[in-house]
Amino acid sequence: MGCKAVKYELVSGFETHIELSTKTKIFCGCTTQFGGEPNTHCCPVCIGLPGTLPVLNREVVRFAIKAGLAVHGKIADVAKMDRKNYCYPDLAKAYQISQLYEPLIIGGYIELNSGRKIRLHHIHIEEDAGKLIHQHGDTYVDYNRGGVPLIEIVSEPDIRSIDEAKEYVEKLQQVMRWVGISDCKMQEGSMRCDVNISVRPEGAEKFGTRTEIKNMNSITNIARAMEYEYERQVDLIESGGKVVQETLRFDDATGTTSSMRSKEDAHDYRYFRDPDLVTITVPREEVEELRAQMPELPGEKLERYVDEYEIPEKDAALLTKYRNISEYFDKAIDGVKSPKTVSNFIIGQIFRRVETEADKEVFDVAVSPAQLNELVKLLDSGKIRNNLAKSTLEKMLDSGKGALEFISESDMGGVDDNALLELCKAAVEGNPKAVEDFRNGKEKAIKALVGNVMKNSRGKADAMAAEAKIKELIG
Amino acid sequence: MVTREDVENIALLSKLFVPEDELDGLTKSMQEIIDFADAINNAPSSDVGFDNINNLSNVFREDEVVPSYPVAEILKNAPEQAEDHFLVRNRE
Repeated sequence: MGCKAVKYELVSGFETHIELSTKTKIFCGCTTQFGGEPNTHCCPVCIGLPGTLPVLNREVVRFAIKAGLAVHGKIADVAKMDRKNYCYPDLAKAYQISQLYEPLIIGGYIELNSGRKIRLHHIHIEEDAGKLIHQHGDTYVDYNRGGVPLIEIVSEPDIRSIDEAKEYVEKLQQVMRWVGISDCKMQEGSMRCDVNISVRPEGAEKFGTRTEIKNMNSITNIARAMEYEYERQVDLIESGGKVVQETLRFDDATGTTSSMRSKEDAHDYRYFRDPDLVTITVPREEVEELRAQMPELPGEKLERYVDEYEIPEKDAALLTKYRNISEYFDKAIDGVKSPKTVSNFIIGQIFRRVETEADKEVFDVAVSPAQLNELVKLLDSGKIRNNLAKSTLEKMLDSGKGALEFISESDMGGVDDNALLELCKAAVEGNPKAVEDFRNGKEKAIKALVGNVMKNSRGKADAMAAEAKIKELIG
Repeated sequence: MVTREDVENIALLSKLFVPEDELDGLTKSMQEIIDFADAINNAPSSDVGFDNINNLSNVFREDEVVPSYPVAEILKNAPEQAEDHFLVRNRE
């Protein structure tokens, strides 16, 4: 289409499923380990045999509470489990145990860099479904994933652009990993998003009719799907059509969305309270205990790095992207004069050794925080210069050995005040021409004298201090 | 009041095929089932309702792995199976 008279605003809300990293499934003791031979992580409970009874995993409730605290949500006093009925082979019972009426977490928000808050409606706990493999027109079912605990994080329709959507997902992923409840690997399906999207003329108050794109498993595809769907809806409205409320799937290969189910299949889940599971009453002491155990969250940390340590925001964001990096940094700055120096070493040099995001998340570096701390303190005390510190860090990264393995006493010696004075005197005496030029107003001539000092100290002298000293001698 | 459409809809949701000539009978049966269950609504209710009659809460398992079943046991009741999977035939 050409130039559009009306500008359309995108409105989007997300439903994000995150698999919890508990050891066992939500209602039975089978392992939650990813993969495994088909149907080997199963028991009568998680394949839904009649007569079995689910018993809720205590850790699932604790993990969900942690998730709630991480997004500033309210932890409900009472929560209950409901049955969501639907007939499909990925659920052997023909219902999924979930929460509709009384979810565990209410409200909360994710704050974007702009300061805008994407509000959350609630977070509930539920069981994952089995995996279906469609082959030769038939369906092969593996229930290993059936019963793996999930939280579903339901946002309000507060997202207004694709960039906000990407940032929302990244922030959610970051904070959930941070508090240790999930690895949030989109490629392995431990984090999946359903994207609700509608458009409305800019300035309009009423929302347009929304569509829902199911099961998005990468941030790139979320952006592609939203872009396509935004254009499709706008074009439809512009050409006099109407958006139909429907569920869509995104085709990775073509970059387009298509309808998943016809209207007569419209969902009617007939939710009701699950009579097999008793009420969850959340003891306040337990919530407070978990709250006390919460780590400083990435957003708070970033703010502190900027305000207290005067680290540029861009660098602070890199240091707080993964919890392991920030913990490394926190240890390495202990007692140093300038945390920014430590940050520069990490971002400038150490990051070059941990290139992939996966490696950054683990942040297993040959140089320990204590070793980096020692190096920076040598720099702080003036015993070594920046260039030597940099080259030493490279050697440390190569070998895993401490700074003192590469810096000898003589490297550190020779730069005290007396030695510096001697070096400066020698430079002045040895270069009468430069001295004369300087005295005649040629400021630059002093560089030759400083250079001489640096050369004779084999680079260990402080050039600024040397310059000051020489000026004292000849000025 | 249960209607023929209700029965058709439930059959659809349950992925069941109901022949036309059974619809009236089933509608009547379903009405009887609902009426029977409705008896509960007429029972004197307590303050807590029927939501949690045993007054139980917080029945939990610890997060400890117990061995799963052998795949042969898991698939024992499967009407059809292939390559250690439950097999669902496409009936279309």
